[in-house]
Amino acid sequence: MARLIRTEKEVEGRYEEVWLVVEEDALEQWPAGARAIVGQPAVRIDGLQRARGEAIYTADLRLNGMLHAAVLRSPHARARIRHIDLAPALALPGVHAAAGPGEIEQLVDECDYQGVAVAAVCADTLAQARTAVAAIGVEWEVLEPLLDPDEAVRRGELLDEPRVRGRGDYEQGLAEADVVLTGEFRTAVVMHNSMETHQAVVQWVGDGVEVHISTQYIWGIRDEVAAGLGLPPDKVRVVCNYMGGGFGSKNGADDYTFIAAELAKRTGRPVKCALTRREENLAAGNRNATIQRLTVGAKSDGTLTALGGDFVNAVGWSGWSSSTEGPMQMLYACPNVKTTTYGAKINQPPMKAFRAPGFVEGTFGLESLLDELASKLGVDPLELRRLNYAETTADDRPFSGKQLLECYRRAEPHWERRHAVRARSTDTVKRGVGMASQIWYGGGGPPSYAWVRVSSDGHATVITAMQDIGTGTGTAMAQIAAEELGIPLDHVTVSLGDSARGPYAAISAGSSTTPSMGPAVRAAAADAKAQILEIAEQRGTPDAPLAEVVALLESGQILGKGARGPNPAGMQVLTFGVQVAEVAVDVETGEVWVDRIAAIHDVGRVINPLGASSQIEGGIIQGVGHTLSEERLHDPRTGEILTTSLDAYRLPTIADVPEIVSELIDQPDTHLTNLGSKGLGEPPIVPTAAAIANAIRDATGADVRRLPITRAEMLRALREAELRQREREKVGAPAGV
Amino acid sequence: MELRRASSAADIATDSLLLAGGTEVVPLLRAGLIDGDSLVDIRGIVPQGIAGDRIGAGAKLAELECDPQIPEVLREACRLAASPQLRNMGSLAGNLLQSTRCWYWRLGQNCRLRGGDDCFAREGEHREHAIFANDFCASAHPSDVAAALLALGARLHTDRRQLSLAELYRVPTDDDRRTTTLEPGELLLEVEVPPAVRSVYLKAMDRKRWAFPLVGVAAVRTPAATRIALAGVAPVPWLLAEDGLDGATPLPGNAYKTEIAAALVRRARAALDA
Amino acid sequence: MSAPELHVNGHRYEVRSPVGTTLAEALRDELSLTGTKIACGEGHCGACTVLVDGTPTLSCITLVHAVGDAKVTTIEGVRDHPMIEAFVRTDALQCGFCTPGQVMSAVALVDATPAPTTEEIRHAMAGNLCRCGAYPKIEEAIRTWHA
Repeated sequence: MARLIRTEKEVEGRYEEVWLVVEEDALEQWPAGARAIVGQPAVRIDGLQRARGEAIYTADLRLNGMLHAAVLRSPHARARIRHIDLAPALALPGVHAAAGPGEIEQLVDECDYQGVAVAAVCADTLAQARTAVAAIGVEWEVLEPLLDPDEAVRRGELLDEPRVRGRGDYEQGLAEADVVLTGEFRTAVVMHNSMETHQAVVQWVGDGVEVHISTQYIWGIRDEVAAGLGLPPDKVRVVCNYMGGGFGSKNGADDYTFIAAELAKRTGRPVKCALTRREENLAAGNRNATIQRLTVGAKSDGTLTALGGDFVNAVGWSGWSSSTEGPMQMLYACPNVKTTTYGAKINQPPMKAFRAPGFVEGTFGLESLLDELASKLGVDPLELRRLNYAETTADDRPFSGKQLLECYRRAEPHWERRHAVRARSTDTVKRGVGMASQIWYGGGGPPSYAWVRVSSDGHATVITAMQDIGTGTGTAMAQIAAEELGIPLDHVTVSLGDSARGPYAAISAGSSTTPSMGPAVRAAAADAKAQILEIAEQRGTPDAPLAEVVALLESGQILGKGARGPNPAGMQVLTFGVQVAEVAVDVETGEVWVDRIAAIHDVGRVINPLGASSQIEGGIIQGVGHTLSEERLHDPRTGEILTTSLDAYRLPTIADVPEIVSELIDQPDTHLTNLGSKGLGEPPIVPTAAAIANAIRDATGADVRRLPITRAEMLRALREAELRQREREKVGAPAGV
Repeated sequence: MELRRASSAADIATDSLLLAGGTEVVPLLRAGLIDGDSLVDIRGIVPQGIAGDRIGAGAKLAELECDPQIPEVLREACRLAASPQLRNMGSLAGNLLQSTRCWYWRLGQNCRLRGGDDCFAREGEHREHAIFANDFCASAHPSDVAAALLALGARLHTDRRQLSLAELYRVPTDDDRRTTTLEPGELLLEVEVPPAVRSVYLKAMDRKRWAFPLVGVAAVRTPAATRIALAGVAPVPWLLAEDGLDGATPLPGNAYKTEIAAALVRRARAALDA
Repeated sequence: MSAPELHVNGHRYEVRSPVGTTLAEALRDELSLTGTKIACGEGHCGACTVLVDGTPTLSCITLVHAVGDAKVTTIEGVRDHPMIEAFVRTDALQCGFCTPGQVMSAVALVDATPAPTTEEIRHAMAGNLCRCGAYPKIEEAIRTWHA
């Protein structure tokens, strides 16, 4: 029974109020605990295809007559085109069409960041297209770029008004404090570098268009392309069967999709437009740099009285200003909080969502400062977190489910190891343990729809136009359907990846897929099951096994449908966790080893523990990357990006991976949908950097203040700590010495 | 483009691009950083393998990595260099002759190495660049193996002459921007490696594997002397002089390299003494 | 002059691509063997790893005309190797784009060293980047491949 409601929808920390048509969520949750299929480890249903190299990604797609596009992108951080000549490109062999500034919205002549698209050519081969792009004649007027985010704030070059959030009386809170600490923390620009670059193949078919694209949001692409091309959405088909990673960077159609669409229209041929790895490091989005100037006030027992921060998000030329202040606002029960967040516009490539945008950066700053506070007060860091635990949200709403205290409790045996870890320190290699709390979203929301088709052989197909971006969500859907229907897992097929072949599914971002799609799939399976039960009752055999009942169908089928119901009203749906890191630091060379990370996360009911542990490991490893080695560098004068290749931009290798011990609380969130499951894609990356930084403090007394913790930063912090130590010793020294 | 297989050194013209492992020349060609349409495959005419103290210029780093005849410093330098695939593919000579990883150079900027007037790194982002001989060009030499061979006092045999490894390299100057001294068309054939009593290679890099040296320290003790050579600190592999690191001229953004170098040199000496 | 031949997975193919084409491009575009992926095209990430006479090689920086008689093995040539089952069983993949290259390096490793230690695994696999972070399970797959 459909009804219209007004509800809050959250993705990547951004809330919007929407009107939605929802189905009633009438199913009761399963009782806590692993079941026959849900809660049991399951191998990926598409694992074999991927492992064998048989999966066709957009990068592998060849359509008949397909042409290849190459794009001319601005090499300058800020420039305008005085003159451009496409004729030399069009004259080259194999070239079919070329487009220049203004011909489509995505091709510009006012360039405000390096990498913005200016012109595009399509040709029979990629090599011909690239040669043609190189032949385009351009006269540039190079302009002075704005590169400094603080300068941008000073000049008022902001995306929108500064975001001021607060509660209580911040000044009063500071006045009440026994100790006030401040700190400035900086995080660098980090790039997604998914292994499959951004790309699309677009073909005009009849009066509509087919878009094959490496994406996290099939339906979003459909709507965006429809709007951009002036087509009714149902005339746009979007296909993504396999995609090679996104991490937040592939939520939109970007320029390459529209470039391909335009060139396809002009030539009447399918056109593939794929970013090269260099372009991927320029024009595919990034986790923006931040500058965080933070203040904490506390009583001498560690009770927080005030938290304050000025956050500068150096978003680039456009994008949005993510909630770097989120952890400070939401994690702890501090009555007086005041934050101001600026979205600084600089002439650099625009940010995009990257696995818990804002919260990764903000957790680093906040948890580092709190750890410093603990150290200063002589309070155990884990105790400090527990002391300031928040029973409700800042505006007195309950949480739909919060197991953070249980996470802290389960962290204790890992935390206990710190004595033994420290004891293994030597003169040159110091060892220590640090921890950090995790808070993030992950409740998903409506709409999402699924169909479940049951055939006479007792096999079922889940049909929904969702995308599995590598997280294993497709497998989780199969498990849910199998569990609800009471049939073996290998009797369930999942048909996904095609907007022509299934109903609307949520974006795979913001840890949304499992909590949004899962309940819809369960509802659809339950609907099918109810129909089968009805047939059984009519037959007079209400207890007959499903297989026996459906065998009556012959060519007939049972079609179940389900939809995602609303989120619980008046509650906040969040995920929580804690990570404990063990590190070693070479105090002479600044080398850091992350030896071990224990990760304990509360994400409600876990559908697939095997896939879940992979998500945790993946998030932590990306965390290690932005903590120790990943940084986009640019020339300080011209703004030109210097780290556009994977030798210069350093992702973690297998040799950089710590021992990872992961534990999931796995208690259903009893207020959330018919599953009680939240998303797990982002929580694991949130606290890793902070835990490592805090472990470094435990090992060496050094306060690292920036990410990544380069050798230079580590040595700086070590020397500063040594200096502080010598000052302390001097002060303690008897007079006259 | 043309690819010919050489049957003798005479097949090599002065403008030929030499192809052995291809791990430098192929990416540089495809990126448009070097020009040329005449490739000469020299794998058939350059010695491979290891025979006593002679290593073929075509030997792969992967072979050197596991051969117990090879001095420890060279084996370790190979082991920590590049990635397994690159060690399988890349020749010893190619490794010695590789270009800098300076991002300005690798992005095709018209810097001093290309005959231009500026060293963009000196005024720009130079955190991974040279702390010695960096007045004119701040590029850092990326070869671990070259530092090891320099410390070993290796000699090179080309198709025309013999020279010490040190003589293979030159710091670029205003009148001559090259960092190597091979003549056009000259072919490196063998590397002669003197024995060492003890040797060690220590490397500081940005991740645990597959990264170029921030600082690499090769230390070799022979009956005659102790020699220490550094990778990643100068436009060429750098033999540490008497005044050692006191002679370093770090730039504002790379002074940390001096600190790391000091620690690793100390440890290398201690390892030789142990 | 007849077109050069390429030996791939036990078959012989004529190479018609122009000189300058890489092995990766020839495999994918000419031979339609798209299991070998190009993720960076510069030899930095290992996704394009194939075996040339059993040796892990970056096909994206290997010129197809320089391969000669060498025997090339791609992911399509090892589809029934127990390593594949090990990867699937241990969940040693997520998006799967780097996986063919990982499998090829892993297959070569266990060919030479059937029971590698953790150190040996990390050393041999360091040239295969995985952005999703499947490394711990890749290690487990290689440790248990003959299980």
